[in-house]
Amino acid sequence: MSLWHIAWGYLWNRKLTTILTILSVALAVGLIAAVLTLREETRKRFEEEGQAFDLVVGAPGSPLQLVLSSVYFMDNPTGNIDIKLLDQISSETEYVEKAFPVNLGDSYAGFRIAGVTRELFDHKWVNTYGVERAPFALAAGRYPEQPMEVVLGAAVARQTGLPLEETFISTHGMIDMGDLNVINHSDMPYKVVGILKPSDSPFDRAIYTPLESVWHAHEGHSESATGDEVDPKTMITSILLQLSSPGYRYQFQEILSQKYRVMSAIPVKVISDLYDKLLNTAKTILLAIGYLVVVVSSLSILIGLYLSILQRRRDLAIMRALGASSWEIFGAVLIEAFLVTVLGIVAGWFLGNVVTFALGQVLAQRFGLIITTFGIVPDEITAFATVALVGILAGILPAWQAYDSDVARDLAER
Amino acid sequence: MVTLEQCRRTLGPGVVFFCERFHAAPGQHTALWGPSGCGKSTMLNLISGLLRPDSGKIAVDGIEIQGLSEGKLDQFRGERLGFIFQTFNLLTPFSALQNVMLGMRFSDTVPSSQWKPRATELLKRVGLGQRLHSKPGTMSVGEQQRVAIARALANKQRLIVADEPTGSLDPKNAAAVMNLLLEMCAEQEVTLLMVTHERRLAERLPNIFECTGLVTSEEAA
Repeated sequence: MSLWHIAWGYLWNRKLTTILTILSVALAVGLIAAVLTLREETRKRFEEEGQAFDLVVGAPGSPLQLVLSSVYFMDNPTGNIDIKLLDQISSETEYVEKAFPVNLGDSYAGFRIAGVTRELFDHKWVNTYGVERAPFALAAGRYPEQPMEVVLGAAVARQTGLPLEETFISTHGMIDMGDLNVINHSDMPYKVVGILKPSDSPFDRAIYTPLESVWHAHEGHSESATGDEVDPKTMITSILLQLSSPGYRYQFQEILSQKYRVMSAIPVKVISDLYDKLLNTAKTILLAIGYLVVVVSSLSILIGLYLSILQRRRDLAIMRALGASSWEIFGAVLIEAFLVTVLGIVAGWFLGNVVTFALGQVLAQRFGLIITTFGIVPDEITAFATVALVGILAGILPAWQAYDSDVARDLAER
Repeated sequence: MVTLEQCRRTLGPGVVFFCERFHAAPGQHTALWGPSGCGKSTMLNLISGLLRPDSGKIAVDGIEIQGLSEGKLDQFRGERLGFIFQTFNLLTPFSALQNVMLGMRFSDTVPSSQWKPRATELLKRVGLGQRLHSKPGTMSVGEQQRVAIARALANKQRLIVADEPTGSLDPKNAAAVMNLLLEMCAEQEVTLLMVTHERRLAERLPNIFECTGLVTSEEAA
């Protein structure tokens, strides 16, 4: 019969109030946990994939749009650049280890078709967590060798159901197949020759084909960044660069700007900036709401315990008569507040992760971002400790009331 | 075992408890008898340290308790005193067994490994061997008072203070509980102070102290 047993006995004795109080704490903690987990996991995932390439070179426009279109296949490209740049930039061997051209243009069922070279499929890198990433490993078939052959990302194969050897007609741009004004290339079908293994990354959500395929598909209707009609074989959308050291990113970006007059972006930096500027504000607002709910929950702990102490002044007096010290009574009440808070935190963490898991399914479907749930991100430890502290503080007033009770008077009350 | 000398306690405007002298020897069973409002419960609260005297001396088992700190008083109650109340005062969230174990929880008299065996043994002794895990709300009033008796004796106390222990019971249960209380106190060789306003009940104990402690302040002066 420890003080914990006694505290638990009284909490269990008023189950409904206890469960409702735990729920109110859980709602607050759930919101905080979901916000923190989503933010941390999506940031980690975006940055992880952003590390695939040190720099991306493309037509002038928004660096974010360039990164989102060429690295994450989520946006329209900024335009086209001259293919001569590929050789020129590749020749900067002091800085450039590998340069991968990317040609974006068509899509199928909402998935981007990326014209690439064979070298991209061998691209591997070690992320900041020390894990080797090789997102272009084959699950079935082979890599495309001829124009109009494609290898499907794992998510594309799963969602479209296209098998090996199947052919399909692409759509120009990212227009949905249902659109009446769709421009399709019915005269030039693509043929599936391979399917990639799932990599839990945005690379699962694209269709890869030799550069030449995109040129074939766009003969006669290709534009340069300036809007002039040009031979599509002279244009590519972007160049993904792996430098000899990540430490050269800023330096080589400057060289690209000064010497080649092209826009480039550092994917990791662009994504970090996006998080800082946009998502941090949303995170702050959601966290503020979460902590506000924590305060309200703490008030419900305080009120619940306060009323409970009023109702059982006699019980507390009996314990004093049995030899319990004032501090033991104080401790037992404080333990009740602690138990409610901790149970609320555990339930809230679970609730938050269920919500995150559900949202994670949407993120996986739409952006290929697989987020890890049912773990604890570093910020959560601080948040949970704060909630626990607030919960215990809410128990102090009722605990003091119990500590300071008049035993003889409370025993005399009938 | 229990001595009060020149003990005075102000209870409210113009109301004072005063006891010139009271003494109960070790192992003695004494009834504190008197009409309602005569100060019997106040005297019991003073002896158990739940109230402090304004002046005078209260000694229990050789300890002068009027000068003890709150902490020492808690320890004193836990180790030496067993309470039996008119309304039983069991803790409702806990079973009979847990209520008796709570009687041992707040002092070091009985080692924790012995709490459960001792509580079980005492409950069997008061005839509740089949109700160990019953909650007070599911027990009859007679059974509840039996649990209270077991709890009061759990810590091998030297003194039992019983405040109208049969006051809430029907005559049949009252007689049974009274018999059990006297038997148990005799068996365990503890001193018993029992408050009652019933002369007939008081006469079942070998000693009767007629309580006239509650007086107006003018009389006390």
